Formats: sequence, C-alpha cells, structure tokens
Amino acid sequence: MRAARRPGFHGALAVTLLLGGCAWDAPMSTVVPRSDFARDILYVYGIVTWVAVGIALVVGGALAWVIVRFRDRPGAPRLPAQTRGHTLLEISWTIAPALVLLVIAIPTIQVIFRTQAAPPREALEITVRGHQWWWEFRYPTFEVVTANELHVPAGRPVALTLQGPDVIHSFWVPQLGGKRDVVPGRLNRLTFTADTPGEYRGQCAEFCGVSHAHMGMRVIVDAPDAFARWVAAQKAESAELAGLAAEGKAIFAASACVGCHTIRGVSSGALGPDLSTFGSRHTLAAGLLPTTVENVTAWLKNPPALKPGAKMPALGLTDDQARAVATYLIGLK
Amino acid sequence: MSAPSSGRVLHGHPSALPGVETTATVLGWLTTVDHKRIGILYGVTGFAFFLLGGLEALLIRLQLAVPHNTVVSAHAFNALFTMHGTTMIFLAIMPFNAAFFNYMVPLLIGARDVAFPRLNALSYWIFLAGGLLLNASLLAGTPPDVGWFGYANLTSKHYAPGPGVDFWILSLQILGVSSVIAAINFIVTILNMRAPGMTMMRMPVFVWMTLVVQFLIALAFPPITVGLIFLMFDRFFGTHFYDVAAGADLHLWQHLFWIFGHPEVYILVLPAFGIVSEVLPTFARKPLFGAPVVIYSGVLIGFFGFGVWSHHMFAAGMGPVADSAFSIATMLISIPTGVKIFNWLATLWGGTIRTTAAFHFAVGLVGLFTIGGLSGIMHASPPVDLQQTDSYFVVAHLHYVLIGGSLFGLFAGAYYWWPKITGRLLGERLGRLQFWVLFAGFNLAFFPQHYLGALGMPRRIYTYPADAGWTAGNFASTIGAFGIGVSVFLFMVNAWRSLRRGAPAPADPWDGRTLEWRTSSPPPAHDFDTIPPVYGRDSYWREKYGPRRGPAAGATPPSSGAAAGIHAAVHLPAPSHWPIVVALGMVLAAVGALTHVSIVLLGVLLTVWGIFRFALEHHRTTAHTDQTGVLGLDHRKMAMWVFLGSECFFFGTLVATYLAYKGRSVVGPEPHQILNIPITTLSTFDLLMSSLLMVLALAAVQRGDHRQARLWLFGTALFGLVFLGFQAYEFTEFVHRGFTLQQNLFGSTFFVLTGLHGTHVAIGVLWLLSLWVLALRGRLGVADAVKVEIAGLYWHFVDVVWIAIFTLVYLIP
Amino acid sequence: MRDEHRDGEHPTVGTYVRVALVLSVVTALEVGVIYVRQLAPIIVPLLLAMSAAKFALVALFFMHLRYDSRVLTLLFAGPLVLASGLAVALTTLTGAFLVFGR
Repeated sequence: MRAARRPGFHGALAVTLLLGGCAWDAPMSTVVPRSDFARDILYVYGIVTWVAVGIALVVGGALAWVIVRFRDRPGAPRLPAQTRGHTLLEISWTIAPALVLLVIAIPTIQVIFRTQAAPPREALEITVRGHQWWWEFRYPTFEVVTANELHVPAGRPVALTLQGPDVIHSFWVPQLGGKRDVVPGRLNRLTFTADTPGEYRGQCAEFCGVSHAHMGMRVIVDAPDAFARWVAAQKAESAELAGLAAEGKAIFAASACVGCHTIRGVSSGALGPDLSTFGSRHTLAAGLLPTTVENVTAWLKNPPALKPGAKMPALGLTDDQARAVATYLIGLK
Repeated sequence: MSAPSSGRVLHGHPSALPGVETTATVLGWLTTVDHKRIGILYGVTGFAFFLLGGLEALLIRLQLAVPHNTVVSAHAFNALFTMHGTTMIFLAIMPFNAAFFNYMVPLLIGARDVAFPRLNALSYWIFLAGGLLLNASLLAGTPPDVGWFGYANLTSKHYAPGPGVDFWILSLQILGVSSVIAAINFIVTILNMRAPGMTMMRMPVFVWMTLVVQFLIALAFPPITVGLIFLMFDRFFGTHFYDVAAGADLHLWQHLFWIFGHPEVYILVLPAFGIVSEVLPTFARKPLFGAPVVIYSGVLIGFFGFGVWSHHMFAAGMGPVADSAFSIATMLISIPTGVKIFNWLATLWGGTIRTTAAFHFAVGLVGLFTIGGLSGIMHASPPVDLQQTDSYFVVAHLHYVLIGGSLFGLFAGAYYWWPKITGRLLGERLGRLQFWVLFAGFNLAFFPQHYLGALGMPRRIYTYPADAGWTAGNFASTIGAFGIGVSVFLFMVNAWRSLRRGAPAPADPWDGRTLEWRTSSPPPAHDFDTIPPVYGRDSYWREKYGPRRGPAAGATPPSSGAAAGIHAAVHLPAPSHWPIVVALGMVLAAVGALTHVSIVLLGVLLTVWGIFRFALEHHRTTAHTDQTGVLGLDHRKMAMWVFLGSECFFFGTLVATYLAYKGRSVVGPEPHQILNIPITTLSTFDLLMSSLLMVLALAAVQRGDHRQARLWLFGTALFGLVFLGFQAYEFTEFVHRGFTLQQNLFGSTFFVLTGLHGTHVAIGVLWLLSLWVLALRGRLGVADAVKVEIAGLYWHFVDVVWIAIFTLVYLIP
Repeated sequence: MRDEHRDGEHPTVGTYVRVALVLSVVTALEVGVIYVRQLAPIIVPLLLAMSAAKFALVALFFMHLRYDSRVLTLLFAGPLVLASGLAVALTTLTGAFLVFGR
C-alpha cells in the first residue's frame, strides 16, 4: 500500500524550505525520498518539523517580547505583583502540548508498523553482512555474491536481512530510507521498494572502529530489465584475457590475494570482498575512491595508507605488478 | 585570625567566631571537610577538565573544518571524540553541578554543612582520582577510542586489544562510586537537615532539583556499574557477557548503558533548571510562577526518566511494539519538561526585569533548551529518528541541551553566586559580552549541524568527501567552536580580574529571595551565625518585604540573634586526612588492574585500612553520638536505607541479566544439571538464621547487655562464615566438574551474580567482626546502637537478596 | 535514640523467633513444592509469592520497617518497585520473558 503523494510532498516542502533550498539534493540527503520507506519517513518528518518550528517561533517570540516589555526602566514598579501561579493557565498549558504530541504520535505509530511489517511474498531477499569496513551482499535466490555495491530492481520490494560477523554496524542509504543496525548475533530486517532508477550513496552509521568513516556503499536501482541483465552478468563466464590483464590474473592467482578474495573460477577466499565483478563497480574499498586504474593501483600497493587500519596488508607488489593486477580487476565486469 | 585546626565545639558570641575555616595551606585544602571548600575544589577541578575537553573539541572541529583534512589521524580522532564526550559529561558538567550542590545546598536549607562532611570530601578525592586515571590514558599513549558510550562488542578484547578501554572502564567505575556516595550524602542532608520551618515545599527549587538528581544518581549508576563489571570480566577473566559466539545478546550492553544514560542526561540538566528557577525570579523581582508545579514536574521527569531509555536504540531492531512504547513514553516526558519553559516565561511576565549577566545566561538557557528539546521531540518519533540518529542531527540536539541547557545554566549560576562564594563581583559588562560571544559562537557551531545531519552526515567520522555537500556547514561549525573558546577565555579574564581587584560584594547584591543572601559574602566557616528563620518559600524575600508566616506548626521557633544565638555551641566538623587515603587506595587498585595484581592487593589493603580508620576516627566523639535530624531519623540510618535502595538496582540488574541469558548458553552444563538444591537449602537456612542472631545482637546492644551483644554479634558473623563456606564448597565442586566462569553464558552469569553476593556477605562478616572486636574491648555501648543497627540493615538486605537469588536461580525451573 | 515508632511497640525476642520460624517453614515449603508434579503449571507464581513473603517478613520485622518512620519505607520501597519494573522490562526486551515457560 503506497503512501499518498500529498503528505510526502508537504513533508519534503517543509524540510527543504527550512534547509534554505541549498544543496538539498546532496548525495546523502535525508529529505530526498526515492523509496516508499523514505517517503513514509518524510511524511512524519514534515509534521514534526512544522510542529517544532512553530513552537520555537512562539516560545522565542514570547521570550523576547516579555523581556523587552517588562524590563526595569523609569516608571516600572519597584515591587511588581507577586503572582504565585494560576491553576487554570497551568492546566491548559499542560494539556495543549499533550494534544500537539498526539498529532505527532498517531502518524508515528502508523508508520512504525507499516514500515516494519513483514515483507510481501514477492520481495527480493538480500542478505547484508557488515564487516570492518566493507559490505557484503548476497542474493540467495540467484546465488550471487557481491560487495560494496548493491543492485536492486526498481518497483519491486526488497527485503534486506542484516547480519554481522564482527561488530555492530548500521546500514544507511538515506534516500532509500532510515537506518538499521547490523548486530552480530541478531537478524535485523529492512524492507523498502525503490521507485527511481539511479545511484544512491550510503554509509555505515554506527561507529565500528578505525575506518568507520570509510565504510561507504553504493546502491544502484536498476529498471527491471537492467537488473535482470546485471544478475546475468554476475553469473556469466569470464572472458578470455590477454596482455596486461592476463599478466595481472597470473600475479593474482599466485599471490596471497587468493587467501582472502573470491573470484569465480580463480580463487575462493572468504575474508575480503568478492571481486568476481569488481570492474563493474563504480567505487573501490567501500566507496573510498572511484574505480580507475590509478586508484586501484594505489590501493593495491598500500591499502592501509589509504584506509587506516584496513585488514588488507601491503603485499609488496611493484608498480608494474600492481598496474597489471589493477588492469585485470577492472576488466572483471 | 587563627582558626581551629581540628573540629571543636566553638563557644562564644557568633561574631567572635573565626572566618575562613582552616589555615589556607595546602594541607588545609587536602584535609578540608567544609562543604564550601569542597565546592570550590569541585569547581576548579571541573574547570580544568572542561578546558581539556574543550581543547579536544577544538581539535575535532579543526580536523572536520575541510574535507580530507590531515590535522589528526583516524586513530587520534576516534580517541578525541571518546575523551571529549567522557570528559565533558563526567569530569566537567557533573563536577560543576557538584560544586553548586556542595556550596549552596546547605546555605539554601539553613544548615551548616552536609550530613557527612568527611564522606563529602571522600567523594571529591575519588572524583579527582577517577579523572586523573582517565587522562593518564593520554599520557600512556593509549586513550580509549570506542566512543563515550562504548558499544559492545567493539569494546571486547578482540576488537579493542589495548588498555584504552580498561582505563575507561576503571575510571568510570571510580567516578560512579564518587557520585553515589555524594548522592546518599545530599539526600540525607536535604531530607534531614533543613532549618526549622523549612518544609519540603518551602525549599528552593534548586534544592528540589538537586534532590531529584541525587536519587537519579543513586539509582541509575548501579546498572552501568553492572554493565561495566560485565565488560571488565569479559576483558580480564574471559566471561561471555558480550560474546556473541557464546549466545550473548549485544543489546544487553545498550540496555544497561542507556538505563543509566538516559537518567544521566537529566542528572546533567536538572541542576541548570534549578539554577534558572532561582535566577529568573530574583531578577524579575517576582516569585517563580507555579513553583509547586515546577517541583512536581521535576520529580516526574526524574521518575519517568527511567522509562524512556530505549529511544537511544530505535535503529537497533527492537521491533515495532518496543519502538512504539518507548516513543510514546519519550513524548510524554517532554510535557513536564516543556511546562517548565512556560512557568519560566510566566515568571518574567509582569515582573520588573534587571538584565544582569546572570539573567542573560538564564534566558539563554530558556531559548536554547527549547530548541534542544524540540529537536529531541523530533528524535522521539522512531521513523524520523531512523534518519536522524547517529548523524550530526543528534550531535546538534545533544549540544543544544547540554551546552544550551546545562552550560548556560551553569554560567548563570556562576555569575549569580560568584559574589557569595568569593566576596567579589564579576564584571557585568564583560559578563554580558561573554554571553553574546558564547551565544553567537555556540549557535554558529551547532545550528548548522542540524542541516549536516539532514544532509546525511554520520557522526564519529574523522573525515568526509568533498562532494557530499557537507563542507560549508562544517567550516561554519568550526568557526563557531572557536567562538565558544573565546567566550570561555573571556570568562577566565573576568574571573581573574574579579579575584584580583573586583568590587567587594555585599551579603545580598541582587536583593535575593533565598537564605544564602542572609549571610556574609563569603559566609563564615560556620555559614550562619544563627540558623535563619523560615517564613515560607522565598523566605528571605518575605522577611524583607512580607508577608511573613510563622514556621510550620510544631517546629521550634526561629532563634533570634539576641536570644538563643549568643551562647549556642557550634560544632564544626574536623578536617581529616582519611578521605584522601581511601581515594588513593582506590586509584592504586585501579592502576594495579592495569599493571600487576600485587598493586591491586596493595591498593585494596590501603583502601580497607583507610576505611577502618575513617570509620573509627570519631568513634569516641560525643558530638557525633546523636545524629538525629529534622525527620526524627538518624542520618546514618537514613543513609543506609538510601544505599539499600541503590543496591536494589545493583542486584536487580544482575538478576535481570541472569534471567535474560537463561537458556541461551551454547554449551552445557545447564542449571538443573549442576546446581545442588539440598546443599543450597542448608546454606539458605543458615543465612536466614543469621538474620535472627543479628536482631538479637542489636537488641542486646540497645539494652546495654554487653555479654549477649558479644555472643550474638559473633554468632551472626560465624553463620555468615558458614554461608561463605558453603559457597566456597559449591564453587570448588563446580570447578572440579568443569563448570567455570568461562565455561558458558550460564557460568558467567551465575558466578558473577552469586560471587558478588558472596562478596557482600564477606564485607558484612568483616563489618560484624569489627563490631565484635569493639564489643570485646568494651567500646560498644548503648550510645553506639545505631552503628550496630545499620550493620544489621545491611546484613538483612544481603539475606533478602539471597532469598531472591535462591528462588530465581536455584528453584525456578 | 528518637526513631518514630508508629504503633509504639517494639518487637520482642519472641516475635523475632516466630518470624524466623515462619521463614524456615516457608523455605522448606519452597524446596518441597518443586518436587510436587501436580504444582508444575503454577510453580513459578507460587515460588515468586513465597519468596516475596519471606522478603516482606525480613523487611518488616528484622529490618524494623513495620515499626519505623514511613519515610524509611518510602526510601526503600520506591527504588525496590522501580528496580523490579526495570528488571521485568529488561527481561522482556531481551526476549527472555518466555524463560519461565521453558
């Protein structure tokens, strides 16, 4: 059941007006809804914002006025009337806030239950595993495993199950909805239906260690046919390689890389991200840098220098070796 | 003029009594038990830590001023925000609050000191020890870097292997002890030491807020103490409280932390509300509008503050029912908080307002806390919170309530009470300038952070990309932060100039309403020459301008200066060096935990020895025999009951954890496979009978029967030892059968729960044997019955806890 | 000593001994009932009630609350009730309330 357009519109208007209209389309903006979940949230967000701003203006205005009106100046009574209270007034201003809170509470409870309802049968099941400091995504239905970039189809409900093998993280893609913690030992759920194809930025939102700041992610919302193509590409056989890429593959297969990373048909390490379609991702190292040969080469030579505390060590590759492996990896689409 | 260097009864005309308490030497300050000096110690020490925390903040803001900055490394940044948060909360705001509690509460209720002056000093020295220990981690190069609320399991030995987290745990435990001891002290003081005629409803609102805060401290610290004990045991002894692989639930840490953490924020801000409730009426020349309602709302906030903690966990996945329940509770609690704002506004309405510097800061609180409270209401809605939590929006919220609320309130208190404390006035013009610089700097620093949060900037990140749209907001925020720094500097200038050559302050510079203005600035060592008369709420105002109403019926009439005062004997508490010895022992034990177990032993021995000497220091002082207060209750008895209330929370948390984890162990054994009910029934019976012996001992002491007193005291201790013997047998049996502390989750919860109970029994046995030895030496007379009584209350409580444990752990399937 | 005694009486040694006797009997009963199969469905509330009774007896008589100022009862009962409520809330939130049913 879709949230009505009108409330979402008012919500967006309220908050964006207050943001002064500046940079409201920032990549991590919480007021640019691109899913039903985000829209539901923005609806309540708009209400609470209006209420908050209204009360702030009334109270601030009253405060300023009272101080000016009753300040000590010639003619002011030395001893003003020692009013101790006024029961009716006090009762009224206790009940009034309660009523205002009702205006917030009712839509709040409605949206809580709507957005935490069990996902519909046709939802696409995805398992999200938060690691220090990267994201693993598994599609059980398709037997696809990828990392740091999540592809989802537009217009179809997506049911994320959040798991944590190490510490607590938090999955947050603001334009697609609110955040949900990844708690080791528990299975948390997040369900949403993205409506607009595009690329959305996300980031871990629970402090998880040294490189918490570098645990980003991208969510690519694909039109249904594009999504089907992406799934097929994940499972496709890798192309024949030549030149630098072939060299890179040889270096990869002979190095410690294979102990941590999986590349379909080459290695099956499980400690680091699956690299089988690394080249198709727009960023590397969990949103750290755009995927270019230069960046990948720099990363390969010394990961902790770019991402403090990264568990991938510097492998002692020469410039040429690193470039070769980079070329190979970028070719993995 | 020379002053007595030990507590003596002072005879003579009040005007001839000495002024400043003891000699102004270092030793004088180290051994002081005067509430005014202790207040100053808290204030100065808190300020030093405040500057440190401020420096940490400035480094954080410098690093975040521009994207991809390299002022500090990621490691350093993470330590900076951890230390900044921990320092500002525990080492700055809480001590500032304590400074005002200490200095002003006795004056406000017409008392001459607190109920337990040496315990008061002990609280300060333990606080100093904890603060120094935390910052020693900086000197050691291993500060904690897990955030001020250190979520498990990031704090486990595996993910945080260095000693940083250990420093953090130990310091917090020490600081907790300091706070709870002080809480008990102030509760007894406020309830039992009010001047004649000062009924509860006639107390100033600041005193009421203090009272609520002390209850919050006494009850909220035990849960985090327990949570930290669990973490400490996990890290030092291999238990599994936060070990997911062993079946633990990581939400447990969050629950325990926030059951403390939410009341903590009211602990931080209610004193500021109290200050504003004194400052606004004074400068509006009108009473606080609806004072009873402000008082009741404070009490309600305190009580309901225990019911909202999981609003810090809306993203944690508790489910829609829990989310909704806590959301509604949180919204409800905003009503009594908001009502105060209206009461303050109505206080100003119709008044004749003098806009002094103190007034500026108080008004600042009203405006800024409103903003902070409103962003809090936004957070109270879980859907909205799912976007705002863990982002800069919540950072904005918390700073609006803690700086806009607490700090502005504390500055108001500083400007208001500075004349009373120092005898000089702070510069008014510089004060108003300081206010505006702080107001501008603070809003520039933190208002943009609402936008940063709305634009998706997470918190606790040491850097950010240039294309996120966060650059302008961060840069502005950094400028504002330095503005705050300038404002603090201006305050220091103002304070310095005031102390060097400030205008001398009269007793009542503001035409005040409450009793502290009735004595000199600063007050003499004994606070009041004669205990002031109490004519109602705002008693001094009534005395000056009427209407005067007599003291509450049944109370002794107020002493007038001419009659009762002149030959009244005033007993000033004697300075003591035992508080500092006990505090030293505690910090030594903590240092030992970080270094070598032999140092732990040394520290424990020093602490125990210090406690013994502390307890016996005034065993023979006749002035200490009768400590009956206004409610007709002995101070020590009341204090013990408050302590037992606190212990309900301590054991309640332990038992709740046991039950929460029951059945979650991944490997065996299970309770029914290993617990020996018949044997435990015997030990239970033994403990119950020991309580009978205890009441017989007390009855014997009360009627002066020395022989029976010795017999039953020894008997109780003996039965206690038998119980411990049973427990030792049980533990060794279990270990032989492979059931240890580390075996499984059941092992962790069982041994820690029963072990801590056993420790309580052991302490009780030690206590009883000490009383027995006193009795053997003929030094336990009828006059000492209260001491036996409170030992008995402790003993019975320990018995009662066992009743609960026996049923819940052993009997219930 | 100026404690307020509410009904003016002070418990005698006989009272204390009787209380101790009741405590012993209830303890014995508590241990006894866990072996009675017929009581299994209500064993939890039954045990909780019995231990609460013992708790109350010790507090009221041995700890003298029955004869002391109401202030002391309030100072203890308030935190006791609040702590119990929190314990229940905590066990419920961690999904362990079902523990009694296992």
